[in-house]
Amino acid sequence: MSFVALERAEAGTPLVAGPEPARRRRRPSAWHLLLIPLAVVMVFPFVWLLVTSFSTLAESRTFPPSLPAGFPLQWIENAVHNYSAAWTQAPFGRWLLNTTIVTSVVVVGNLVFCSLAGYALARLRFFGRTALFLVILATLMVPFQVVMIPVLLICRDLGLVDTLGALIAPNLVTPFGIFLLRQFFKTLPVEIEEAARIDGATRLGTLVKVLLPSMAAPLATVGIMTMLWSWNDFLWPLIAIQSEKSMTLQLGLSTFVGAHETKWPVLMAATVTTQIPMLLIFILAQRWFVQSFASSGVKG
Amino acid sequence: MKAVRCGALVAIVMVVALALVASGCGSGSSSSGGSTASGGTVTLWHGYTDVERAAVDSMGPEYNATDPAWKVKIVFSGNNDYGLQKLLTALAAGKAPDMMYQYGSSLANLSRSPKIVNMGDLIAKTPGFDWNDFYEAERLACTVNGNVMALPALVDNLCLVYNKKLFDQAGLAYPTADWTWDDFRSAAAKLTDPSAKQYGWAYVNDGSEDTVWRYLALLWQAGGDLLNADNTKAAFDSPAGLASMTLLHDMAVVDKSVYLDSGNQNYLNLFNNGKIAMLWTGPWDMSSVNKGVDYGVQILPAGSAGHETIAGPDDYVTIDNGAGPVQGSWDFLQWFTSPKVHLQFAIATGDLPIRESETKLPAYKTYIARYPYAKIFVDNLSNVTKARPNIPQYPKISIALGQAVQGVLLGKLQPQAALDQASQQVDTILAAPAP
Amino acid sequence: MAPARGDEAPAPARRAGRADRLLSSEHLTGWLFVSPAVLIIGLFGVVPIIWSVVLSFQSSDFVTTPTWIGLANYQALLKDPAFAASVRRTIIYTLIFVPVVTVASLAVAVALNRAVRGMRFYRTAVFAPVVTSTVATAIIFNWLLDPYFGILNAILVKLGIPAQQFFQDPSQALYCIVVMTVWGWLGFAVIIYLAALQGVPQELMEAAAIDGATRWRAFRRVQLPLLGPSTLFLVIWLSINALQLFDEIYVTTRGGPLGSTTVVVYYLYQQAFQLFNAGYATAIAYVLFLGILVLTVVQLVIGRRFVHYRS
Repeated sequence: MSFVALERAEAGTPLVAGPEPARRRRRPSAWHLLLIPLAVVMVFPFVWLLVTSFSTLAESRTFPPSLPAGFPLQWIENAVHNYSAAWTQAPFGRWLLNTTIVTSVVVVGNLVFCSLAGYALARLRFFGRTALFLVILATLMVPFQVVMIPVLLICRDLGLVDTLGALIAPNLVTPFGIFLLRQFFKTLPVEIEEAARIDGATRLGTLVKVLLPSMAAPLATVGIMTMLWSWNDFLWPLIAIQSEKSMTLQLGLSTFVGAHETKWPVLMAATVTTQIPMLLIFILAQRWFVQSFASSGVKG
Repeated sequence: MKAVRCGALVAIVMVVALALVASGCGSGSSSSGGSTASGGTVTLWHGYTDVERAAVDSMGPEYNATDPAWKVKIVFSGNNDYGLQKLLTALAAGKAPDMMYQYGSSLANLSRSPKIVNMGDLIAKTPGFDWNDFYEAERLACTVNGNVMALPALVDNLCLVYNKKLFDQAGLAYPTADWTWDDFRSAAAKLTDPSAKQYGWAYVNDGSEDTVWRYLALLWQAGGDLLNADNTKAAFDSPAGLASMTLLHDMAVVDKSVYLDSGNQNYLNLFNNGKIAMLWTGPWDMSSVNKGVDYGVQILPAGSAGHETIAGPDDYVTIDNGAGPVQGSWDFLQWFTSPKVHLQFAIATGDLPIRESETKLPAYKTYIARYPYAKIFVDNLSNVTKARPNIPQYPKISIALGQAVQGVLLGKLQPQAALDQASQQVDTILAAPAP
Repeated sequence: MAPARGDEAPAPARRAGRADRLLSSEHLTGWLFVSPAVLIIGLFGVVPIIWSVVLSFQSSDFVTTPTWIGLANYQALLKDPAFAASVRRTIIYTLIFVPVVTVASLAVAVALNRAVRGMRFYRTAVFAPVVTSTVATAIIFNWLLDPYFGILNAILVKLGIPAQQFFQDPSQALYCIVVMTVWGWLGFAVIIYLAALQGVPQELMEAAAIDGATRWRAFRRVQLPLLGPSTLFLVIWLSINALQLFDEIYVTTRGGPLGSTTVVVYYLYQQAFQLFNAGYATAIAYVLFLGILVLTVVQLVIGRRFVHYRS
């Protein structure tokens, strides 16, 4: 491969785009053959989840599972029953509000603080940087069951037990976000940064105005994954929350799981309801993953 | 300088935070619930769901309407499966409730905490309480080292639940109260049809206590015991133990008439679908049987020693948050477990009565009318003559025995070898100093 | 103009000029930027870990007052065959899980990284497992792999292969867990790689194409090196998570059958919450911690040598 061309590209000289190689037009159809089975395998359990929420209780209690009877009218009737039961049998609305508040604050907190920390760890040379990075990573290496009691004690001393604060504070910054953003900051060319600094920008200004706009995809990733983990967290809310009014969705979902009996259709209806927002946000966030295509106009 | 000032600010915040933590270390626990010495509110944590939850929630206002000195607050604290974790962490954080529903299997270890109240004195001081009115299984489950450490919340036992249609199809007579192991085994074999993927019996084979306690019923039916009289050595490596292990082996490996459930409760779904003919299960599963299934309930078949069955009682523990709350909790639990009140709860939920005197009340007829199958479970309580040892080492013993039973059912261990392996492990466990 | 004495000439003079070298604005700025992270992670991450290290030197059962026993827990661990077995299983699991997910997700991400019609659907489909709860996943896999009624056995039998026991077979259960967790983690890894592929300047790919490189060579010479940082991230992240596998075991096999899926964290959970050996469980956690720490440092060191950052 020609390194000359590579250098020219890196210097920022736009290359004249030649005619699209014929190769590119043939490829998509072959990929579909591979992607369709993959998609089926990936999506199948979620589809089953959905189908169960359209079943009656008796139908969910049979094995092996089969499609519910009476498509489509009976399905609709079952769905109405299950979804409304999910919403009304428990303070679902309250849980939704709690979870939304906690998750929103946690996501914003992570995006802000992890960007700051990730950038510092990637680009700023400061005393103790490597050790700090290792310590941050090290906190990932102990299973939560081991530290949850000390964390609870700390929250108790801060007066946070049984409040949303207990769910927010420990998760405001996570090693995941710091680590991921550090890696991605390191892939950005230093020249851009130096140019901005020479122009008189502060470090913070450089970060916000120059670097972060190029980090849409990793930022979206941090946002989505943090949102998902906060939304679906179960064990910590179980320990930290004692009254029902402060419960989160996952915790509340456990009310549908009996000690020996589970109302699967209602549980699945509740699960679908709680997961649909995540899926929707992911679908919408995809445009940050396809940005480069839009800008270069490659179709095919 | 802006930078230096900010740096100093950061340092101050960090120091303050660490100071908070340091002050938290080792500080005593504070009790929960607003209270003065003479009155206030006591909290009950439970993990009931669905119908039971509605019933227990209504108990709160009903009790408070009697204008007690200590009002009660009934709180759903998460699924019962997480109850032990929840209580342990709450105790550690010093924010425990006054009463909590716990599985019976946790009591032996929980009661070692000084915060769990010994109910013996309270019972002795209350002549009308009638401790012996509770079924023996419950009294055994609530007693650790001779002390009553909890009050009964729930009792059950294993019965034989069978699909009448499958029996009819096979031309077999329904199980009777005189069935023996041989009757049971041959019926299961005749009800098994590999081509139709139909099985005569189902057994929960996840190696947990669910696997062990059904085996214990078999062991006791054969006249065996789990441990010796002073709980110092294993006693199940005996002819009775071998007979019961061999029955499992014969049915699962030789006849192949047993569906091995891996712990996800599929046996119930299969029962609903007419794929399994007989279950050994308890009242908790009855509400999950689909309406279209024509089923019957019978006592378990007899080994050489009788129709022994096993119960799995759960209880309410009381946590010591001060003399006042303990008294308030006792007042509530006394009321809650009294015959009339509990029968009302049983009628609402289908749970079995916890006191023998409940079966003599006029409202008992309503209960039986609403839950016809319950009568057999209640009567079968008289077949519960033994209980699992209420010792702190029981969880370890359960794991050892669970692996042995699992190995036999999967055909990986021969019965005698499984017994040898398990009894050696149990002897080692019991030989270690008791916690 | 040549910078004098190493001072950064372009930096606006914010210092009084006499500050110590150590207090140069880059050090302070660095610490300032990380201070929120340090505060939160320090308070809720580091302090609890140190706090519970103390517990590992005690004999504790959550309910009675702990007694100090020094290194006894650790000594017992070294002689515990059940612990050794759980370590072996965890390592086997990790050695299969991490490479499979890394390679497979890269392939899938490359496949999805094109503006073909329907890609949005495929990407969402690949992401679906990430939003499917562990409980629901367990139910599905239990069903698919049921020895008697599962679809997979139905297919195998039709192909003439005898029915397998899967989750009920001590020699197969762990590998079934591998399949289940690979399925569950693929989506996460794919979006990391998708994000990374966005960072590959399109001009480079076009340059390669103009130079006549095949798609494969372009991938190897242009995209792959630039995926170094994210690959390092994934390998470390997946390893840390694989070595702490727990949730999927809890909802399917519960450590069985016959203990064949009792991995380290499951063994820890049993010790702590079923057998009330809190001190012993914490000692297990710290041995695991040390193992993961060593592995991560090794991975970072190797990464430093082979991963090329653009700086």
